[in-house]
Amino acid sequence: MRYDVVVVGSGIAGPIVARNVAKEGYSVLLIDKKPAIGAPKQCAEGINIKVFEKYDIPYDRRFINREIYGAKLYSPSGYELEIRYKDVSGVILERKVFDKMLAFYAARAGADVLARTEALDVIRENGAIKGIKAKHEGELLEIYADVIVAADGVESTIARKAGINTYAPPHEFDSAYEYEMLIEGFDPDMIHLWFGNEIAPRGYVWVFPKDEDRANVGIGINSDNPRTAKYYLDKWLEENKVPAKKLLEINVGVVPVGGFVKELAKDNVVVVGDAARQVNPIHGGGMAEAMEAGTIASKWIVKALEEENLELLKNYTREWWEKDGKRLERVLKIRKAVEKLTDEDLDVFIQVLSGADAEKIAGGDYLEVIKALLKHPKVLMSKRRMALLKELL
Amino acid sequence: MPEKIRIIVNEDRCYLCGGCAGVCPALAIRVSSSKWEFFQDKCISCRICINACPVGALSAEPLEGEL
Ligand SMILES: Cc1cc2nc3c(=O)[nH]c(=O)nc-3n(C[C@H](O)[C@H](O)[C@H](O)COP(=O)(O)OP(=O)(O)OC[C@H]3O[C@@H](n4cnc5c(N)ncnc54)[C@H](O)[C@@H]3O)c2cc1C
Ligand code: SF4
Ligand code: SF4
Repeated sequence: MRYDVVVVGSGIAGPIVARNVAKEGYSVLLIDKKPAIGAPKQCAEGINIKVFEKYDIPYDRRFINREIYGAKLYSPSGYELEIRYKDVSGVILERKVFDKMLAFYAARAGADVLARTEALDVIRENGAIKGIKAKHEGELLEIYADVIVAADGVESTIARKAGINTYAPPHEFDSAYEYEMLIEGFDPDMIHLWFGNEIAPRGYVWVFPKDEDRANVGIGINSDNPRTAKYYLDKWLEENKVPAKKLLEINVGVVPVGGFVKELAKDNVVVVGDAARQVNPIHGGGMAEAMEAGTIASKWIVKALEEENLELLKNYTREWWEKDGKRLERVLKIRKAVEKLTDEDLDVFIQVLSGADAEKIAGGDYLEVIKALLKHPKVLMSKRRMALLKELL
Repeated sequence: MPEKIRIIVNEDRCYLCGGCAGVCPALAIRVSSSKWEFFQDKCISCRICINACPVGALSAEPLEGEL
């Protein structure tokens, strides 16, 4: 088989690249090891409303389960901070439908798509990578291509086999565990997040509503923790007297939350999304990041093919690092500071912010948030808290 | 030298999520959509995969006496 571009992985990043490149008339093959693209899901399914317009994705009710108007944050001792918008700010998707539809859009744009096709290795000839070896229902395939895209998620097997360094230390991953379940008593128009070192070390517990009484209820913790994510989620459910007897799904996964890959393109291989560790280190959301990286990568793949100059692929690394990379490095710095907070700090911060100007917090201007915190007596009284916050200015 | 280990999976617990393969620095684990595989020759016995598994499906077995 021969294509201009082969894309390994049909999650979020892969189909965006495949669609954009196929649209320009190049031959593209998109493969995924799953027999049904999108299933099982490994996601809480929350995403910002802006992505639909920005990445040219239809706002299709088939994969939008629910519209969300903001977030509610809970501190270890139960202080609450509500950030509510007038308009819809995000949606909870049905990723099983969404991922499959993204692959369908790629197919409709001209790409070939093969489910249940696992990439095993790269093909090397005289030291150069010429394509990939894959397996489809037991049949070995040799797929030759000018450009190879590793959109293979957290495993990043193909990126690594191609010699791209995607190593991140164990602390730069979250282990995540989630029930899709029946649950009552939470405002279904908001996402809900609980923080605390005993509740979810380094991470948080989430309730992302899917219907009035159904939600993704999950947890992310540092993946070098000796206890499992499942242990902490079950403990939280029990302590909060949330019955876990109506479990519709169990979702499991590991999320990269730091250690962004430095070299995103090497010769003719390009790495995007979770495989490139392009995830927001604070909340662990990676869909929007995967779409952004896929968009930048596809732009340079098209240029490289047009001008028959694969050197141009390096511009993807440059552009990503100038835009998203810089922003995510700042977020990583915040995560590292937040990691040092005690439960008491978390109580104080959420308490202080719940009295502060919610509009500013809602606007996401974190400098304003830090300035508001710095003025408060409970913060002023603590040298350590002051030092932590000042690090972020 | 750290103790040499073999990683074993409890198939009844494993969700084939691929997380352990993702954190393994040595590409010693491969997770396809139907099976979990371990490559002893690549494993550096760091135990990173064991902690990272969200459900505790992995454990280590010493390799002493087999080398
Ligand atoms: C429990 C959990 C909750 C999350 N919640 C959110 C959330 O609410 N919002 C958000 O934005 N993000 C969330 N994320 C993160 C988000 O799911 C990822 O960042 C996002 O899916 C990344 O997209 P991707 O295309 O890079 O990778 P993936 O979506 O992981 O896609 C990779 C694809 O590659 C395939 N693949 C892997 N190896 C091979 C191979 N060798 N051959 C063929 N195919 C292969 C896989 O089957 C998969 O389909 C969550 C993650 C987890 C684990
Ligand atoms: S991390 Fe755990 S559940 Fe996921 S594939 Fe590895 S052993 Fe299975
Ligand atoms: S012990 Fe380390 S090298 Fe061995 S499989 Fe686990 S993560 Fe990989």
